Amino acid sequence: MWAKRIQYLNENFSRIAKRDRIFLNNPVIMSGLGLAPLVVVATNGTNALMLSVAVLLMLTPTRVLASFVSRWIRFRALAYCLCAAVVYMAAYQCMRQWFDVQVVLLGIYLPMLVVEPIIIKRYERATPEKWVTALRKGLLTTAGYVLVILLVGMLRELLSAGTLFGQEIMQAGLLPMAALPSGGFVVLALLCAVWRGAINVLKKWLNMEAKRYQ
Amino acid sequence: MSAVLQSVSTFFLYAVVAVFAQNAVFSRALGVSRLVKLVDDDSTDSRVFCLCLCLVQLVSAPLAYLANKYILLALEWHSLIRPLVLLLCSAAALGIVVVAVTLLKVPIADKIARTLPMATFNCAVIGCILLTTIQNYSLGQTMGFALGSGLGYTLAVMAVTEGQRKLQGRTVPNTFRGLPVTLLYIAVLALAIYGFTGHMAAY
Repeated sequence: MWAKRIQYLNENFSRIAKRDRIFLNNPVIMSGLGLAPLVVVATNGTNALMLSVAVLLMLTPTRVLASFVSRWIRFRALAYCLCAAVVYMAAYQCMRQWFDVQVVLLGIYLPMLVVEPIIIKRYERATPEKWVTALRKGLLTTAGYVLVILLVGMLRELLSAGTLFGQEIMQAGLLPMAALPSGGFVVLALLCAVWRGAINVLKKWLNMEAKRYQ
Repeated sequence: MSAVLQSVSTFFLYAVVAVFAQNAVFSRALGVSRLVKLVDDDSTDSRVFCLCLCLVQLVSAPLAYLANKYILLALEWHSLIRPLVLLLCSAAALGIVVVAVTLLKVPIADKIARTLPMATFNCAVIGCILLTTIQNYSLGQTMGFALGSGLGYTLAVMAVTEGQRKLQGRTVPNTFRGLPVTLLYIAVLALAIYGFTGHMAAY
């Protein structure tokens, strides 16, 4: 049973990786999408949480709405952005209700989500997608992006201030630079390298196990 | 005469600030997702992309200024519709650029038409006009900042493309190749800009 599963995973790794938006084909780690808010705004857990909620509220509804609208509007780039701007209105109201004035901490990066590639990138494909596919892929992409946002936000807060969601973990931060945009680039680069390295190790391990059971 | 000189100096001051001290990519990471794609992508000409971005930026900035002055500032719930209004300004700018390129019979009109949507609906363009409208810049300041942002983005693309040649060497560890090493390279440049200015750009 185990051998069969290993064989299956090894033979279909590329296909499985293509579908997976959380670990094997994470939109941030593999394609470099949605980097701007991650680098500048996700400097602590609270900001990362607010950003995650905003993405959660915007990504999937935009994609589903755009899948309907792009049947009638030929200029799909505009259709996707306009859908995102309409969804943003509802998302902004929810954010103001839940986080009050703290939303201001996200600055221009909250309204800028309407043109963020992670939300609108689908317009570059030649064929419009079905709403069911948009819903499924939207939810998976959101999960993958939220995972990275929270990871980066918490990591940067821990490194720069030694705290986690404001609770003291260490007496002082190990790398105060992590709160700067340049620190954000460094943390994200290291996370990308470790993540990609882990995927390579998994791929090699599957290959070796599959050969052992042959 | 002194008013004209003051306007010109304000324009150039904001343009220079936007190119170096508040570079769209290195200080605010605007359009960085597109940049890392652009330097790896052979199907899109980065020079045409930067030209389109500068043109759209320059045309959309005065439109955004007018929209802010006559529509957004008059409304109490301007934060809610700001992205929609600015998006429409960018879309109008795209239309104007397409018409201008067609009328002028530019030799690379086809390439420009293909690249324009990518350059228009970009964080660098929307981010720039969001900043100028939220901070209530005057028309001169808006135009200077828009021109500087476009040139600053072009400078960043050139710097990263040039660095990419060195970063593809064998000495780079396997797991760092591609996106991670490009991000590290941008981080070094961002740190240099931070060292030059001494403070984080407001957002």
